[in-house]
Amino acid sequence: MKLPFGILATIAMLMMFGADMQHPAIAVEPSEVLSNPVLEARARAISSELRCLVCQNESIDESNAPLAHDLRVLVRKRLLAGDSNAQVKEYIVARYGNYVLLKPPFIEETYILWFGPLALLLAATAAVFVFYKRSAGVPPDPAPLSDEESRSISILLGEPGEHEETR
Amino acid sequence: MIVETGLFALILALFIAAVQAVVPLIGAARGDSAWMNVDRPAALVLFALITMSFGALMWAHVTSDFSVLNVVQNSNTDKPLLYKITGVWGSHEGSMMLWTFILTFYGMAVAAFGGNLPPGLRARVLSVQAMIAFGFILFILLTSNPFARVYPAPLNGDGLNPLLQDPGLAFHPPFLYLGYVGFSMAFSFAIAALIEGRVDAAWARWVRPWTLVAWCALTLGVAMGSWWSYYTLGWGGYWAWDPVENASLMPWLAGTALLHSAIVAEKRDTLKAWTIFLAIITFSLSLLGTFLVRSGVLTSVHSFAVDPQRGVFILLLLLLFTGASLFLFALRAPALKGGGLFAPISREGGLLFNNILLSTAAATVLLGTLYPLFVDALGLGKISVGPPYFNMVLVPLMVPMILVMAIGPFLSWRRGDFMGALARLKIAFVVTAVTIVATLLIAGASARSVWASLGFGLAAWLFCASLIEWTGRIGLFRRSLADVFQRARHLPRSAYGMTIAHMGLAIVLAGITGSLAWKTEKLQVMYPGDSVAVAGYQIKFTGVDNHVKGPNYTASRATFIASRDGQFVAKMQPERRVYTNPPQDKSTVAIHTNFVTDLYAVFGEPDGKGGFVTHFFLNPLVPWIFFGAVVMVFGGMVSLSDRRHRVGAPLRKTRATPVASAPAMPAPATVVVANGERKGLLRGWVYLVPLLGFIVLVGFFIHRLQLTSEGDTPNLIPSVMIGKPAPTFNLPPLLADRPGLKTADLKGKVTLVDFFASWCVPCRAEHPVLPLVTQAGIRLVGINYKDKPADAKAWLAELGDPYQAVAVDAHGRTGINFGVYGVPESYLVDRNGVIRFKQTGPLTPEIIRSKLIPMAEKLEQ
Repeated sequence: MKLPFGILATIAMLMMFGADMQHPAIAVEPSEVLSNPVLEARARAISSELRCLVCQNESIDESNAPLAHDLRVLVRKRLLAGDSNAQVKEYIVARYGNYVLLKPPFIEETYILWFGPLALLLAATAAVFVFYKRSAGVPPDPAPLSDEESRSISILLGEPGEHEETR
Repeated sequence: MIVETGLFALILALFIAAVQAVVPLIGAARGDSAWMNVDRPAALVLFALITMSFGALMWAHVTSDFSVLNVVQNSNTDKPLLYKITGVWGSHEGSMMLWTFILTFYGMAVAAFGGNLPPGLRARVLSVQAMIAFGFILFILLTSNPFARVYPAPLNGDGLNPLLQDPGLAFHPPFLYLGYVGFSMAFSFAIAALIEGRVDAAWARWVRPWTLVAWCALTLGVAMGSWWSYYTLGWGGYWAWDPVENASLMPWLAGTALLHSAIVAEKRDTLKAWTIFLAIITFSLSLLGTFLVRSGVLTSVHSFAVDPQRGVFILLLLLLFTGASLFLFALRAPALKGGGLFAPISREGGLLFNNILLSTAAATVLLGTLYPLFVDALGLGKISVGPPYFNMVLVPLMVPMILVMAIGPFLSWRRGDFMGALARLKIAFVVTAVTIVATLLIAGASARSVWASLGFGLAAWLFCASLIEWTGRIGLFRRSLADVFQRARHLPRSAYGMTIAHMGLAIVLAGITGSLAWKTEKLQVMYPGDSVAVAGYQIKFTGVDNHVKGPNYTASRATFIASRDGQFVAKMQPERRVYTNPPQDKSTVAIHTNFVTDLYAVFGEPDGKGGFVTHFFLNPLVPWIFFGAVVMVFGGMVSLSDRRHRVGAPLRKTRATPVASAPAMPAPATVVVANGERKGLLRGWVYLVPLLGFIVLVGFFIHRLQLTSEGDTPNLIPSVMIGKPAPTFNLPPLLADRPGLKTADLKGKVTLVDFFASWCVPCRAEHPVLPLVTQAGIRLVGINYKDKPADAKAWLAELGDPYQAVAVDAHGRTGINFGVYGVPESYLVDRNGVIRFKQTGPLTPEIIRSKLIPMAEKLEQ
């Protein structure tokens, strides 16, 4: 037997809301802040790149969930213990997996993600190149209109200045 | 009665939409003007019916008719009138009604103002519009009926989520939908043109104003949403690259590309297939956004109540509209051949460059937004793609676009003079250089100010170049003043529109740069009477009024006096509100703006000793972001007021027989069939690529919906601890007479480690099934996660104690080491102390029997 989806969804909601919806104002609490401003700035930078696990898509720096609080404290503890930024992230990833990284790591699974934009750009450029080759190349330049001519066109069209746009 | 009338009108509208979809289309195919002429009255009646239906729903909300389920779920008598009205579209059902209302509004507009359209084109456009309307009305009636009654009617309703009780709800969704749905016009025109088999300059000229309307509305809608989140979320963020935000950005990027390629299609009769493609894609991205927001295939902060069943229906609509239109595109596009040739360096070339980058950006946002779904569907685990990714990949795309955006307008059509354009930009070069140097001098040399200087330089470059282009056109400094005025007056409004919109973007860019580079914040506990210094401001906390009464909330309101150099600047009063229905908290911030910098105050929790958490931000240049967006919209509207966008569309040479010739006989003047069968076939393949890509995408969505309906929601995170030894811990016991728990205790026998807490609701559901675990001979130990010991003891006393040992993880650190993210969670550990299985969420008899026990038996051998 499988649990009906409705029940699971309700449970998921309860888990989420029970933990999450209490105080939607301030994420980082004064008690968490480190006295060393350099370390604190690093902690903030790291926190903003770690995804809160119980929330709907927020970083732990923005979230009010208790787990986000615990993780922020943990990040600061690791920094105080002398970890580098990368080591702190590794510490969290070792427990929760790559899911917590808002900046996805450069691994086999994410090659398409990281190379995708460049590939798309190259494909679009190639398409434009083919487009140019297909069309018979550069058009011959007609002799430009003299001032006299463009003025008379304006008068004929009854819209002075109109020719400006297609200059 | 009124409610039933609304439902009845909606049902009737379904039939009218069916008629409007079918009859004019057949009429256009046969050249039967009587059948074609059904389109206009049908569109007017459809709009009237939907208005009636929407009005009935609004009536139910305004009068608090609690016999209507939708009103019960989203309203309450205490709610102020404004939110009773805007609350109509605060729910999924109501927002779909708004969507349909706007859709039929556009159809009505074509019927009422499209008098200069050839009847065949108009009939087909309105027919396609009606097909979309039919799909959405059917969707509402079958899955999201807002008129459903409830019996017996409750005395009062549940109320609206406090976060939605904000003036933002009155503007953001209507404009957003005016934008999303507005692109359905370009879509309908594109489909009509593909059916008809002709795309020419006149077609592009008709499409442009509709695209422009949609673009203005969407720009405004997105900017308003961004502003709303800026003053609501409490940390001054205005863009988070959330899937729902991306869902609005993608049609914006594609729509902006469409706006520009349509210019080329109109003026130079080329890039036609591409313009048609963009029209299809832009609306499809709007539909995709609707699907993403409402189906729950992705996790987002802003989601509606998600429902996979509805997701399936929207996916069907998406499949139908986008699939069919891409199929039609693959059939017809190869025959659309461009007329006007142009050199790579030319106005067309510049617009094409803009199109390449904008569409690559749109595709990149799509890739990043959906990538977690792809990886998950392929069984490669779960990953997140967040702001750092989007910032990294989009900045390199946007920078060259803005560089070229400044130059493009200087290039002439067909063949431009690049060096000549640069020569005319001499002043812009100087201003850019001065901006960069000045920024560095003022801000000091740090990595941050280098980035800021480049951002400001780019903004200055675009702003200045736009200004120079305009002064050049009116001949400022070159001609007599009278002549300049004459020229300024006669310069087409569309030219003004472009200049203004481009300058607006420059302002947005400067705003984003400033806010990223120099945001400062200060977080502290303050007692009444305390002062803090925040970036040159002195902020004094004068006191708290704990008894503020709102219409449906009570609030604590803090008062801060901000001053600078002893001079009073502003009184700021942020609040913490407690709403009665639904009982939820909401924090409202106080913002003081001088239109350059925002001082932003958040009032937090009391510390229990008379102090309060306060959080202040100085957000430099953030007002420019929203101001710049408004300037962009203004530019769009100026362009829209251009005479040629209103009436000047050249009428096609209408023949005695209607233009609506059968698609198989395209007018030779506008369509040149590709030479030769073979070449046509080859080219045809290329045009199939979007359709194939789309089908693959739908496959992924179906798979994801399937997984979700099986309980594997997108935010269920697989454990990385499986196969690894249980983390090291040594926890004290909960009950004094029983032992605690340490890692070594797990060895020797298969053990289930269950994390639980008395405050956790699903734990209560799990508790009664736990004896099944021990009965199967598995050792069961409990770890009481972040709980009060007294509560936990009372819980075990009340519900029974199935655990062989219960340890206390007061701070949740052991939980984190196990990878716990939401109790209850349980881990099956083998005899060597290695984790073999994790259950996230409550154990059920089914999971214990089918998964846990067989696995434990295998491990025990």
